[in-house]
Amino acid sequence: MASYLVTVFVLITLNFWLPRAMPGDPIETLISRGSSSFVYGEESVAKLEEYYGLNGSVASQYGQYLARLARGDLGRSITTNQPVRDEVARALPWTILLIGGSLVLSTLIGLTLGVRSGWRRDRPVDRAMMTGLLAVREFPPQLFASLLVFVVAVKLEWLPLFGAETPFSSSFGPIDRVVDIGRHALLPMLVLTCGLMVGQYLVMRAGMVTELGSDYLLLGRAKGLHQRRLKYRYAARNALLPVVSLSAVEIGFAVTANVIVERVFSYPGLGQLMVGSIGTRDYPALQGAFLAFSLGIVTVNALADVLYRRLDPRTTA
Amino acid sequence: MTAPADPRLEAETPRPQRRPGPSVLRSPLMVVGLTVLGLLVFVAVFAPLLATHDPKVVTGAALERPSARHWLGTNDSGRDLFSQLVYGTRVSLLVGSVGPSLALLGAVMIGVLPALIGGRVDRLSNRFVVFLLALPGLPLLVLIGALVGQNQWAIIIVIATGGIAPNARILRAKALSLREAGFISAARGFGGGPFYVLRRHFVPGLGPLILVGFVTWASTAIALEAGLAFLGLGDPSGVSWGLMLERGLSQRSLYFSPMWTWWVLPPGIAITIAVMSFTFVGVALEPTFNPRWLRSS
Repeated sequence: MASYLVTVFVLITLNFWLPRAMPGDPIETLISRGSSSFVYGEESVAKLEEYYGLNGSVASQYGQYLARLARGDLGRSITTNQPVRDEVARALPWTILLIGGSLVLSTLIGLTLGVRSGWRRDRPVDRAMMTGLLAVREFPPQLFASLLVFVVAVKLEWLPLFGAETPFSSSFGPIDRVVDIGRHALLPMLVLTCGLMVGQYLVMRAGMVTELGSDYLLLGRAKGLHQRRLKYRYAARNALLPVVSLSAVEIGFAVTANVIVERVFSYPGLGQLMVGSIGTRDYPALQGAFLAFSLGIVTVNALADVLYRRLDPRTTA
Repeated sequence: MTAPADPRLEAETPRPQRRPGPSVLRSPLMVVGLTVLGLLVFVAVFAPLLATHDPKVVTGAALERPSARHWLGTNDSGRDLFSQLVYGTRVSLLVGSVGPSLALLGAVMIGVLPALIGGRVDRLSNRFVVFLLALPGLPLLVLIGALVGQNQWAIIIVIATGGIAPNARILRAKALSLREAGFISAARGFGGGPFYVLRRHFVPGLGPLILVGFVTWASTAIALEAGLAFLGLGDPSGVSWGLMLERGLSQRSLYFSPMWTWWVLPPGIAITIAVMSFTFVGVALEPTFNPRWLRSS
């Protein structure tokens, strides 16, 4: 656990230090001739530095930064002039919905396919699934997402094009709202799920194949246990462990694909907040989104660690 | 060059027996992968001859349809899309070769060398690798990418650093197991010096893993570059598949006109093909180099 705390601390420090290590002075950019917020005078420079917490020595800035962070203050967005914390809080649920939903879906689908494929190793079913899913993994998410928009939303008009909900949908009844949100989330989730399930499928399949030769399965078969019981209760259970340790890789992949997918669908999540702030050089918002993403990833990894220990009594030693 | 040897002499001297069959090279995946890669290299090298226009110069009206003059039409600023597609090959192959080279060089430095030295150096560097693995990959790439500004080389280096830790962990594990292996102690016991052991045992032992790591990271790097460019981190004046996608998908009316098919689809397919060809090579290499895989499938 301690190592996760160290990681969190390093991330927080990186978040402070990286922008300062880069060439260029933000205040200078802000007030440069030609910028829309052109101002002149030592006084306004000092005011701006104070406003953005850029006055004083680096050490005192760092101290202030930590103190503000402890209060949950992430600064103000340069483009919208709203507290970054509010912007992150508004975006976060959408991202959690997309990533969480697709993690659940991909686990269900990936594991089921993996169990079946491994059980029928080297048969045509297995070969077909393996080739098909490996090909799916290589498909760049931006192309896949754009293809779905084009076919499902534009040509067939089955689902909405972009966004997370219909504008002014707060006047809808609760059921209509859920349906509306679901319809908007379906395509982005589909892209994420397809990418995620391949890793889980591969690991589950490999696990099943290793279990296939085990003595306990032979014994079970000799005892006359039912195929299905052997497959799911015995073999699949043992093959599940490596899948849990895969979650660190999976969450990293999910975040990457999520950022891209949110951009294609203009989905108002954290990824859009982060990507949008690149173009506008809105560093407080960029850093806020970065922190939220990083803490999320570290938390998921820590949880997977705990889960793994629970599942495999051997690692508690 | 020396004079060609007498063929009869050549026939008489027994040749050292090669290990049986480079059958990897004949597996269908490998053949397809290498053929496609060869084609891509050809396009990248002869891009100036294949392209119909200068991809960076305005050569037509904005948003032209495909025609005899502009095979894939033009983009919103009137630049030829087909030529951009051709020149984009260069960027992807550059990323796909420089990225993994740097990544594996780094992986050898912080994974293999410390493992050979052993002791505190190894423990410390392993801590470092574990720490690097725990960092959030893409958000960090985006943050750094946004801060260094839109610079092609910066992006390549940032992508390469991302590949150091995962490869270092794999290589270190192998190096450690080699260090303890019986045949290496035997070689040492028979008086093999450190360089002899390194050359005859460690290099052949680690080489395949490095090769597989290179190919795998090459496909990841190409996909990542396209992704980062798509997120707006590429050099806007440059020409790459990711940038084409980015510009194409930023068009508001994109989906309601047929231009989707000639603007977004070609670079998207090109990225898929490039990524897949590296993956094919990697998958074809894996069984020969990874005995565990062989046993399991």
